[in-house]
Amino acid sequence: MERAAFVLLAVSRRSERGEKKHANVRAAVLDSPQRVIPARRRAIRPPRGSWAPTFENGAFKRRPSPIKLVKAVFIFLLSGLILLFYLVFYGFLAALFTFTMWVMLQTLSSDIPKYRDRIASPGLMISPKPDTALEFYFNKSDSQSYAEYVSTLRQFLETYDDSKQAQNIDCTPGKVFDQNDEAVKKACRFNLSELGQCSGKEDKTFGYSRGTPCVLVKMNRIIGLKPEGEPYIECSTKDEGTVQIIYFPPGGLIDLMYFPYYGKSLHAHYLQPLVAVQLAINSNSTKEEITIECKILGSPNLKNEDDRDKFLGRIAFKVQMTE
Amino acid sequence: MVGGFSILLWIGAAFSWISFGIQFAQGAESPFDNLYLGVVLALVVILTGIFAYYQEAKSTNIMASFSKMIPQQALVIRDAEKKELPADQLVVGDIVEIKGGDRIPADIRLIFTQGCKVDNSSLTGESEPQSRSCDFTHENPLETRNIAFYSTTCVEGTATGIVINTGDRTIIGRIASLASGVGNGKTPIAIEIEHFVYLVAGVAISIGVLFFIISVSMRYKILDSIIFLIGIIVANVPEGLLATVTVSLSLTAKRMAKKNCLVKNLEAVETLGSTSIICSDKTGTLTQNRMTVAHLWFDDQIYSADTSEDQTTQPFDQSSQTWTALSKIVTLCNRAEFRPGQENLPVMKRVVVGDASETALLKFAEVVLGDVMDIRARNKKVAEIPFNSTNKFQLSIHETDDRNDKRFLLVMKGAPERILERCSTIMINGKEEPLDSEKAEAFQTAYMELGGMGERVLGFCHLYLPENEFPDTYPFDTDSMNFPTSNLCFVGLLSMIDPPRSTVPDAVSKCRSAGIKVIMVTGDHPITAKAIAKSVGIISATSETVEDMAKRLNVPVERVDRRQATAAVVNGMELKDMSLQQLDEVLCNHSEIVFARTSPQQKLIIVEGCQRQGAVVAVTGDGVNDSPALKKADIGIAMGIAGSDAAKNAADMVLLDDNFASIVTGVEEGRLIFDNLKKTIAYTLTKNIAELCPFLIYIIASIPMPIGTITILFIDLGTDIIPSVALAYEKAESDIMNRRPRNKSKDRLVNEQLAVYSYLHIGIMQSVGAFVTYFTVYAEQGFLPTTLLGVRVNWESNAINDFEDSYGQEWTKYQRTYLQWTGYTAFFVSITIQQVADLIIRKTRRNSIFQQGLFRNKVIWVGIFSQIGIALILTYGLGHVTALNFTPLRFQYWFVAVPFAILIWVYDEVRKLFIRRYPGSWWDKNMYY
Repeated sequence: MERAAFVLLAVSRRSERGEKKHANVRAAVLDSPQRVIPARRRAIRPPRGSWAPTFENGAFKRRPSPIKLVKAVFIFLLSGLILLFYLVFYGFLAALFTFTMWVMLQTLSSDIPKYRDRIASPGLMISPKPDTALEFYFNKSDSQSYAEYVSTLRQFLETYDDSKQAQNIDCTPGKVFDQNDEAVKKACRFNLSELGQCSGKEDKTFGYSRGTPCVLVKMNRIIGLKPEGEPYIECSTKDEGTVQIIYFPPGGLIDLMYFPYYGKSLHAHYLQPLVAVQLAINSNSTKEEITIECKILGSPNLKNEDDRDKFLGRIAFKVQMTE
Repeated sequence: MVGGFSILLWIGAAFSWISFGIQFAQGAESPFDNLYLGVVLALVVILTGIFAYYQEAKSTNIMASFSKMIPQQALVIRDAEKKELPADQLVVGDIVEIKGGDRIPADIRLIFTQGCKVDNSSLTGESEPQSRSCDFTHENPLETRNIAFYSTTCVEGTATGIVINTGDRTIIGRIASLASGVGNGKTPIAIEIEHFVYLVAGVAISIGVLFFIISVSMRYKILDSIIFLIGIIVANVPEGLLATVTVSLSLTAKRMAKKNCLVKNLEAVETLGSTSIICSDKTGTLTQNRMTVAHLWFDDQIYSADTSEDQTTQPFDQSSQTWTALSKIVTLCNRAEFRPGQENLPVMKRVVVGDASETALLKFAEVVLGDVMDIRARNKKVAEIPFNSTNKFQLSIHETDDRNDKRFLLVMKGAPERILERCSTIMINGKEEPLDSEKAEAFQTAYMELGGMGERVLGFCHLYLPENEFPDTYPFDTDSMNFPTSNLCFVGLLSMIDPPRSTVPDAVSKCRSAGIKVIMVTGDHPITAKAIAKSVGIISATSETVEDMAKRLNVPVERVDRRQATAAVVNGMELKDMSLQQLDEVLCNHSEIVFARTSPQQKLIIVEGCQRQGAVVAVTGDGVNDSPALKKADIGIAMGIAGSDAAKNAADMVLLDDNFASIVTGVEEGRLIFDNLKKTIAYTLTKNIAELCPFLIYIIASIPMPIGTITILFIDLGTDIIPSVALAYEKAESDIMNRRPRNKSKDRLVNEQLAVYSYLHIGIMQSVGAFVTYFTVYAEQGFLPTTLLGVRVNWESNAINDFEDSYGQEWTKYQRTYLQWTGYTAFFVSITIQQVADLIIRKTRRNSIFQQGLFRNKVIWVGIFSQIGIALILTYGLGHVTALNFTPLRFQYWFVAVPFAILIWVYDEVRKLFIRRYPGSWWDKNMYY
C-alpha cells in the first residue's frame, strides 16, 4: 500500500514536471501567458468548490457565511470520518475473521475430519423417504399414489447401475476390505441383482403395484467404521400377521467387504451396501396402518437401542396400503 | 415485576407458551423445550422481582428498628380519679398530668405549671428547653407559652393541662400529613435506569420486529418467526442487570453505613453522588452541639481556647494572677455537676447535669484545673443566688481553701454589661486597679469583638468580704441580700460558642472542590450563623456579604451592587417577604449563602428554590417540622442522634453521627457507584451483541443455530453476575471529588457512546471470536463452513437422518442436535472467555489498566474465577443433562477465542491511550463513555 502510494507520488511528480516542460514549450510557441501558470502557484490557488470567498460577480455577501460553511463541511467530514472509521474497523475485523478461519481450515485434512467421536455408531435410513414423516400411504391400483416413491427409488438406485460400477472391483465377501496403505481407494461392487425383486429390474414399480412394496434400508456412511461380527438388518412389526417381510439379500445381510469407508474425496465411487425389505401386506390388512421397525443386529459395535437417538441402528416407519 | 425488562420477558414467556401450545396441538416431537423456556423466563422475572424486594426490605428493616415506639401511657384525671391510660385513648377535654421526663401525650393547654420546661426540639429544632406557664403570650399557638405539643418532652417541673387536639389533628400530626402530601419525585438513578431500560428495550423490540418481518418475508413459518423473536428478546434483555444494580447499590449502602450514613432507600445512594446543593443544619451537623469556651479576656488581652472535640489541655498563657482569680470564679460560681461514676471517661464525654453554658464552664475548668468537685469541696459554699432573667447574674459566697485567710469570697457571673455596672475596680495582672473610662473602653472593645464572633459572652467578678464585717458565723441571707453586690472587682470575660466539628472545614472545602454548594440553614442568630459559616468555610475568608461591602465602602447597603457580593446572609424575616423571583435571584447570584433565623417551614421554600435551579438538593434536618423539606429534597438526610422519628421516616438517609463530614464521604461513594454502574452496564451490554448476532445470522444465512436461548440465560444469570457485581468494588480512576456534580440532563448513566462502544465495537469483536470457535467446532467434526450455509431446514428436519457432511459421512438428527449443543457450548465458552477480557477492560474508562492496577480490586479476580468456574461446571459437570443443552467440550476450544480476548484488551488500551493523549478530540468525543 505504502509502496503503491509512493509510486503514485512519483508518477504524479514526473507528470507534473513533464507538463511543466511541455507547458513551457507551448508557452514559448503560443506566447500565451494565461496558460503558463507555474505548478507551484497553481497549488496555492484554492481548489474548486472550496468555501474560500471570492468576489465573483461581486456577490460576496450573498454567499453563505464562511463559518457556517466550515461548520457544515466539518460536520460532513466528521460523519464521513465515522463512516471511514467503521469501514476500516469492520474491514479489519472481517479480514481477521477470514484469516483465522483460513488458518483453522489449513489445519484440517481434506480427506478425514479431525474428530469422528460424535458419530461413533451409524444411523439407519430408508429409501424412499416420504417428505414429511416416515409414513407410506398409497393405493396399489392407483399408480399416481406411489409414483413418487418409485421414481425416488429409481433415482436412488441409478448410482448402483452396472454401467456406473465399471471401475468398481469385486471384493472378497465376508472380509473387511482394508485399503489403508493404498493411495487410491477402490470401491467394491454392489450388484443390483442382490436386491432381487426389489432391484427394479423385473418389477418397475418395486412391488407397489402388487401390494408388496419395497423399502431400501441403508446404514449411514461413517469414515473408518468397521462393523464387527456379521451385521444384518431385521425388521419386525407389532401388528403380527399383517405383513410378511422378505429380505434381499437373503437374511438382510450386510457384507463386511463394503467397510471401511474412506470419505468422499478418497473414496469417490464408494457405494454403501443396501438391504431391500419387501413387505407382503396381507390382503385382509389393507387400510391398516402397519408400523415396521428395522434394526441392525449381529454386530456388537453397532448400537441399536439408544434412548435418545431413535435412528441409531434402527428405524421405524409406517405403511398403509389401500386397494 | 412489571415494567421495563420484565414486560419484555413476560412477552417472551407468553410467546414461548403460545408456541408450545401450537406445537403441542400439532403433535410435534419436542414441544416441551418452549414450555420450559417460558417457565424459566417467568421464573427469572419473578426471582429478580423478589430479590429486589428483599434487598429493599432489608434496608427498610434497619429503619424499622429505629422507629420502634414504646406504647405511651398518660396520667389522666377522669371521673374525679387519676388513671393510667394509653395515650391513644385520650379525648379532647381530658385533663392530663405531666412531670419531668414524660412525653406529652397530646396537644394540651396548660392550666397549672410548676417550673415546667419542655424540649420542643423535635418540633421546632430549637435545642434549648423552653419554660411553660399558664399565661397566654402569643396569638400563634407555636409561640404561646401555655400550650405543650404532642411528642415533645417535658424536661423538668410538673404541669396539668387540658387536651385540645389528639392524633392527626395535633400539630405534629398535621405536619406529618403535610409531609406525606409533599410529592417525592423519582430519584436520579431511577430516571437513569428507566432511560437505560427504554434504550435497551427499544433496541430489543426494533431488532425483534425487524427480524420478525425479515423472517416472515423469507418464508419462514410464523411459528418459527415467533421463536426467533423470543430468542432475540432474550438475547437483548440483560436479565441479570437489574439485580446486579440492586446488589451494587446495596453494597455501597453497606459501605456507607460503616461510614455512618445509613441509607433507607437504596437509590438514594447514587442521589447523594449527584447532589449539587447541600442545605445543612448548623447545630449538631456543622457544630459539635455543645457550648464550649472559645475565648477569654483578661489582663486586657483576648486569649483563644481550644475548641476541638477531644481537648485535654488548654494552651493559653495561665501564669497571670488574674487567671488564677478568674478560674476560681469559673469553678465556684457554677451549679453544674458531673453525673457520678464517670471518672474514667474523658472530660468532654462526661454527662453533666446543668444548662449548656454552665456545662461548658464546668468542662473547661475541669480540663484546665483538674478535679473541680474537689476544689468546690475545699471552698465550701455558704450562700447562693441562682441565675434569673431579671437579675441576669448568678452569685455565690464561699469559704476559701486558704487556712490563713478567713475572708469569704463572693463570686459572680452574668451578662457582661450588668457585671461591669457592679464593679468599681478591675484586676490587671493580679492587681486591683480602679475602673476608669479607658479600662471600660477596653472592656467594651473586647465585648464587642467577642460578640461579633457570634459568641455568648459572660462577665466574671469577685470580692473578698472583709473579715471584720463578715466573721465566720455571719448569717448570709440571699433574700435580703445582706452582703455587698456592688463595687466589686471585675476579673474577666469568657465567651462560648457551639464550635464547629473539626472535620467540617475540610469536608466543606471538599464539597467546594467537588462543585457542591453548601447552604447553611439555621434558626440561630445571623451573627452566630455567619461566624460559624466563616469558621467552617461555607463563607470563605475572602468573600463578602452585601453588608460587609457596604461597611468597607462606607456606603448604605442599598447602594451596593448585590451581584458583586459572593456571600449572603439571609434573615428569616427577609425571606418571609421575598418573592419567588427574589429568592431565585439570591440562590443564583451568591455562591455562599447562609439562611439564619429561619423556621423549619422556610426550609421547604429554600429547597424548592434550589430545585427550581435544576439542582439535586440534599437537605439535613432533625425536627418534625423538617420532614416536609426532607421529603421534598432529592435526598433528605435525618440526624441519627438528634433527629426525631418523623424526620427519620421522611428522610432517605440517616446520619448516624450527625456529622456533616459523613455526608461528604457519602457523596464520594455515590459518585463512585455511578461511575461503577456505568462500567457494570457497559460490561453487561457488550455480550448482548454476541448473543444476538447468532440469531440474526441464523435467520439470514440459515446455518445451524449457534447458541440456544437457555444457554444465553446461563450467561446472563450465571457466569456474568458475579463479575458485574465485582465492578462495584472498583476504585475511582481519578479524584472524583475534584469534578463537578453530574449534569442531570447531559451526563447520562448510559449514553450513546457507551451503547455504541459496547454494542458495535467490543460486542462485534466478541461475536467474531465466538463465531470462529463455532465454525472451528463444526469444521473439525466434518462440517466445513461452506457446507453450513443454507442448511437450516434440512438440518432441523426430524425426518432427515442421513444428513451428509463435507466428508461424505451421514448424520442422524440426534447426532446433529448433539453437535449443535456442542456448538452452543463452544459459543458460550468463547463468550465467557471474552467476557473476562471485557471485565478487565471495564475496570477503567480512561486510565490504562496498568495505571489502575490489575490486582488492586481483588473482587474482580473472584469474579473472573467464578465466571470460569461456573463455565467449567456447566460444560463438564452438567454436560450430560440434555435439558441444559451443554456438552463436555474438548479442552482446546476454550482457547480459540483467547486471541480475540487479547485483541479486545489491546484495542481498549489503544482507545484509552488516544483519549488520554487527545482530550477533546474527535476520538475522545466518540469513544469516551
